[in-house]
Amino acid sequence: MQQRIGKRDLILYAFMVAVLISIWLAMVQIDRQWQFIALTQEKLDDQTRDIADLRRQFRRGISVSTETAGAGDPNALPDSWRGFKRAVAATEMPDYARGDWLVYSFSSQVPSLTPYMSGDAYASSIQQWIIDGLVTRDPVTLEWLPHVAESWNISEDGLTISFVVRDGVVFSDGEPLTAEDVAFSWRFVMDEKIAAPRARAYLSRIDDVTVDGRTVTFRFTEPYFGSFSLAGNLGILPRHFYSKYLESVAAAEEYNTSTGLLLGSGPYRLPSPTAWKPGDLIELVRNERYWGWVPAPFDRRIWKTINSDAAQLTEFKNGGIDVYAALPLEYRDLTQNEEIMKRTRSYEYYNPRGGYSYIAWNNLRDGKPTAFADRRVREAMTYLTDRERVIDEVLLGYAQPANGPFNPLGKQADPSLSVRGYDLDKAKALLAEAGYLDRDGDGVLESEAGEPLAFKLTYPSGSDNYKRIMLLLKDLYVQAGVLMEPDPVDWPVLINTLNTKNFDAVSLAWTSGFEIDIYQMLHSSQTEPGGDNFISYINPGLDELIETARQEMDEEARMAIWHQVHREIWAEQPYTYLFRTKSLIFADRRIRNVQVVRAGLNEGGLWNMPMEWYVPTDAQKYSD
Amino acid sequence: MVNYVIRRLLLIFPTLLGITILVFAVMAAAPGGVGASLLSRSGDLRPEERAAMERYINERYGLDKPMPMQYLRWLNNVSPIGFRKDENNEDAGFGFKVPDLGMSFAKNRPVTQLVAQALPITLLLNALSVPLVFILSIVMGVYTARFRGQALDVGIGTANLALWSIPTIWMGVLLIGLLASEEYARIFPTSGLESLRADRWTFLPVVTEQGWQRGYLLDVVWHLVLPIVCLTYTGFAVLTKLTRSAVLENLQADYARTARAKGASERTVLWYHVFRNSLLPLLTVAASILPGMLVGSVIVESIFSIDGMGRLVVEAVQLRDREVVLSITLITSLLTLLSYLIVDICYAAADPRVSFE
Amino acid sequence: MTETAITRAVEKVGEESFSRRVTRDTLRNTGAKIGIAWVATVAVLAVFAPFIANSHPYLMRVEGMWSSPLLAHLSWADVTMLVTFLAVVAAWRLRRRFGPGQLLVGVGVISLVTLLAAQQLVQVPRAVIYDQYRVGLAEGGIETAYFAPVPFSPTDRSRDNPAPLHEPDSVHWFGTDEDGADVLSRMIHACRIALGIGLVATGIALALGIVYGGIMGFFSGWLDIAMMRFLEIFESIPSLFLLLTIVAFFGRNIYLIMVVIGLTSWPGYARFLRAEFLKLRNQDYVQAAEACGLPLASILFRHMLPNGVAPLLVAASFGIASAILAEATLSFLGLGLIDEPSWGAMLNQAVGPTGTFALWLATYPGLAIFFTVFAYNLIGEALRDAIDPHLEQRP
Repeated sequence: MQQRIGKRDLILYAFMVAVLISIWLAMVQIDRQWQFIALTQEKLDDQTRDIADLRRQFRRGISVSTETAGAGDPNALPDSWRGFKRAVAATEMPDYARGDWLVYSFSSQVPSLTPYMSGDAYASSIQQWIIDGLVTRDPVTLEWLPHVAESWNISEDGLTISFVVRDGVVFSDGEPLTAEDVAFSWRFVMDEKIAAPRARAYLSRIDDVTVDGRTVTFRFTEPYFGSFSLAGNLGILPRHFYSKYLESVAAAEEYNTSTGLLLGSGPYRLPSPTAWKPGDLIELVRNERYWGWVPAPFDRRIWKTINSDAAQLTEFKNGGIDVYAALPLEYRDLTQNEEIMKRTRSYEYYNPRGGYSYIAWNNLRDGKPTAFADRRVREAMTYLTDRERVIDEVLLGYAQPANGPFNPLGKQADPSLSVRGYDLDKAKALLAEAGYLDRDGDGVLESEAGEPLAFKLTYPSGSDNYKRIMLLLKDLYVQAGVLMEPDPVDWPVLINTLNTKNFDAVSLAWTSGFEIDIYQMLHSSQTEPGGDNFISYINPGLDELIETARQEMDEEARMAIWHQVHREIWAEQPYTYLFRTKSLIFADRRIRNVQVVRAGLNEGGLWNMPMEWYVPTDAQKYSD
Repeated sequence: MVNYVIRRLLLIFPTLLGITILVFAVMAAAPGGVGASLLSRSGDLRPEERAAMERYINERYGLDKPMPMQYLRWLNNVSPIGFRKDENNEDAGFGFKVPDLGMSFAKNRPVTQLVAQALPITLLLNALSVPLVFILSIVMGVYTARFRGQALDVGIGTANLALWSIPTIWMGVLLIGLLASEEYARIFPTSGLESLRADRWTFLPVVTEQGWQRGYLLDVVWHLVLPIVCLTYTGFAVLTKLTRSAVLENLQADYARTARAKGASERTVLWYHVFRNSLLPLLTVAASILPGMLVGSVIVESIFSIDGMGRLVVEAVQLRDREVVLSITLITSLLTLLSYLIVDICYAAADPRVSFE
Repeated sequence: MTETAITRAVEKVGEESFSRRVTRDTLRNTGAKIGIAWVATVAVLAVFAPFIANSHPYLMRVEGMWSSPLLAHLSWADVTMLVTFLAVVAAWRLRRRFGPGQLLVGVGVISLVTLLAAQQLVQVPRAVIYDQYRVGLAEGGIETAYFAPVPFSPTDRSRDNPAPLHEPDSVHWFGTDEDGADVLSRMIHACRIALGIGLVATGIALALGIVYGGIMGFFSGWLDIAMMRFLEIFESIPSLFLLLTIVAFFGRNIYLIMVVIGLTSWPGYARFLRAEFLKLRNQDYVQAAEACGLPLASILFRHMLPNGVAPLLVAASFGIASAILAEATLSFLGLGLIDEPSWGAMLNQAVGPTGTFALWLATYPGLAIFFTVFAYNLIGEALRDAIDPHLEQRP
């Protein structure tokens, strides 16, 4: 009885595979729909409870304000609600309406939404809609404004800051937010069991947090100019939700490996505060219990994960993404595309946190001073680095050349300093002064000892623009007889290279802000292993200036010192500062009230900014 | 036979040990070390954090211990027999325990979770593409053998060879550029495995008041078309050729001649006598495909942004995520070795001429 | 067939050695002819790349003085390749006068000597400014200059007149890449990498595979079992993974990539040869040789290897194809070379991170990879058919 396999059997096998796969897919889909039903049920239960609460309050005769949130004169706001002034002004617009969704995209998967468990910027851009801080900031004047705290007080010596927590703030599960929760949030991060070493490194400046009724007081170990922003921007975690993770090592481990433990008092919340996992769509729904003066305008905020840039662009072109951050070339092409411009508006601005790129010249390698230990060589390299050309050719003009670490949007930078332009003759003269001449006629400059001026420029691999910039610089440097070889390495290797200080020059970017500290990068104490002064740059004068600036609590006096710091850096050129790039954003036309302000777009991103965007009713695209 | 199987099974262990030692050594020798993987993922560096993070990771995962120590520790964790630990990390003697694949350094999640998430996606792609490749190649192989030397044979042979020569990267780029872009034709989606709101859809297509909605099943199929094309087209050449030569060999065999002599038509001889025997060599190929199936196609997955095993591995390698790399190598090599064994047994079972030595 | 016909046929076959028959059959195959023609074209392009595409003029006159910047900028690699090519041509002309072994040794010695001499003697100016000729001609500093047909070097990014991602036109026949370099010039110079990677990687793999597989196949028993385990270790690690790991860890270097591709593909050859040897061991002629007390080396290399190696050549020509694909894939995944031209890296730029689709960058390098891989596959296919002739006969 020989079994015969013929054509028919082949077809049968194929059919069976197809059936099995569709059964499996159907099971997946049913599973997900079941979860959806469970979620809806949960929501319903929540609402029933809220309605019951309300009914009880009615029965007790407590008056419920009939004023609907969103209405009101922005100028008549109580002082403690100033933080919502701009948002209230938005609600006063004639076509203001609530509803619709906002769809964004990420280009890589977010590993975890649990607070402090993911170091990437994506996770924090989601968390800021869910977790509130004590204060907010006016996006135009940069003035600090009350948020969860209604007022605050800074001691004379700058060592203690106390906040009064507003009454009536609730988390999205209905529990009230108190000063205890604020203190808990700090204790939570400082607990060694929690895997949050990054945040701990910052928050260890805080010595203690004490609670007295509605007042919470932060005490600092030393005066530091960033203290207020550190305390005011601390994310407030609900104690009733997170405290169980501090109970034991195992519980903390559960927290450390979780992916979606996220609950807060912000205008949005996760559909379930525990269920999210990587690979799921990131979807926030409006927090109907939001305490703020103005509830969130959009029903949902959605982040799609689209790994490939090409696919992301296509999705945007098809209208699947509402707010899209474009690369320079894309931006230039898209702004010329009529169809796209009919549907979207484009915005160009400098993101204060955008950071700056630079080339850092290593002063000391293998215990010996390098060519770049000479200030004249560094300055010559800056003259050779044609930043205008880099910006024009590679970044298509969507950037500004940098002349120091400080952001021109803030007050830290000295506006009187210029940017050195490309100057081949000056560079050659400086190099000749430093003893670099072409001594053997091969076109390359040599030192007196016959050492050619040839070096490797290390940079993180993966970015195409970076590669193009390096090749352009190579061609520019060779004009002066300086040989440069681009050396792309990937992150882990780069970090190792920095730690061992085994490189000639490195091109990287540091993050930025309105006011930044440069102690880590340029103070001589940071040349030790693990420090960020990996170029072994030692300048006692600069050290002293930085130290005084950090401890000065008076803003005006501090800015004067920062200007001095800036001038010193400008003269010394420990880095050749390259550029700050523009953010290039497209936003769907149906979204109104999108403005470019000093802090970027008036949409948050840096701190809890009450939402000012909206979509008029007749333009709304999505609904539940 | 039992002896043979036991001997082969025992031989798997030294091989596995060798593989893991090799991979571990490569990871350990890598500049940058395993601990450095977790620093900032974005292009910017934040000062202050860097050193703190590195210290923390080294301590948490014991990366400051000597390398052989670390390897033995890992080995103890993954093996089902070894030194146990209780909940408070205290020693609890020697014995059977649940194998633990460890934690991903970079993602701070158990490796089992990561694999469980990526594996079904890769398996789905392969469950569709592998049978497709096999069935089409078998059919082509049989026909090219039947019409050997004729235009059909030469045509299919050359076409398959040409398809085989097309780089997958090129094919993927062209397919996306031409069939999924605004400029040319937008017939297929560019990425992912399902549409945005597909989880709320019905399973089968429905016609509602708002119009036709394709349903989850069709949506997935629609998303799978281009990746499946990229996964299949290169596979035809080898398998078709293999089937062709096997069929040809069998057509010349005595039993085929006997069948013909007994009056069986050429068609009957081909499909009922020769066909079954010709499938044998494909068995070996089928087994060698299995490990590849698990690792997934790095290229196809990254072109179409599908989060399968391929992307997981590549990402882990780039981030020096040692536990992930080690675990996946362990799983795939174990399966590879087992599949070799199964093939040999099947081969012997199917073909009485092959003995167990 | 009559008996005499058969006898005649047998005699005819008998006169001809196996390798000669395989060569003849292979060369008769149309596909193989096309394949060899293409590979030869690529080889010629690779050797003469500096004369076909170069920014340095053949000849130029400055203040009445003639000079040849192109010759001045030839590197030791260029010189070695040229001399080796001439030696190969000479060997072809002399093929009737000397045996193939002598010719092979001759070519090898000549190219090795040139390599060593050129590395010592050829000095190239290190600081190269490509725009000087164009700028010089325009400003009158250079009176006359005669350029190569493609007047751009692969790393000449036309900084005097930048045109990144420019569509094909009369200046840049195949367009420019994202850095503004001429695509045609880069493609011509990339022939070297494509050929080199295929030959070197497969050569390494083949050598390792032959030695390892031969030893395994000849001595079976415990040694075979132990060596088989080691082979399984290498086989079980997915090769792309190993490639990624090593390139990511030890940097980008064309020689490293060649070696690594070679190191990851040898187990296949070893397994192949082992199976072949196990089969051959039971053949009468090997047992006879053993019985005669011939030394081991003689049995291995004079008797078994020539018979076992033919199927390996088939695998090798497919191996060359897949090595080229592997390099292209690595480049595509962003682990390729930075300044050196490579087809895969160019293809990668076609859908650069900007999401835009440069059709000319996708088409020309893509076709080049495709044709080269296809050519090697055609040759492999023809070789296989020639080795296994009975499959072509009708039952």
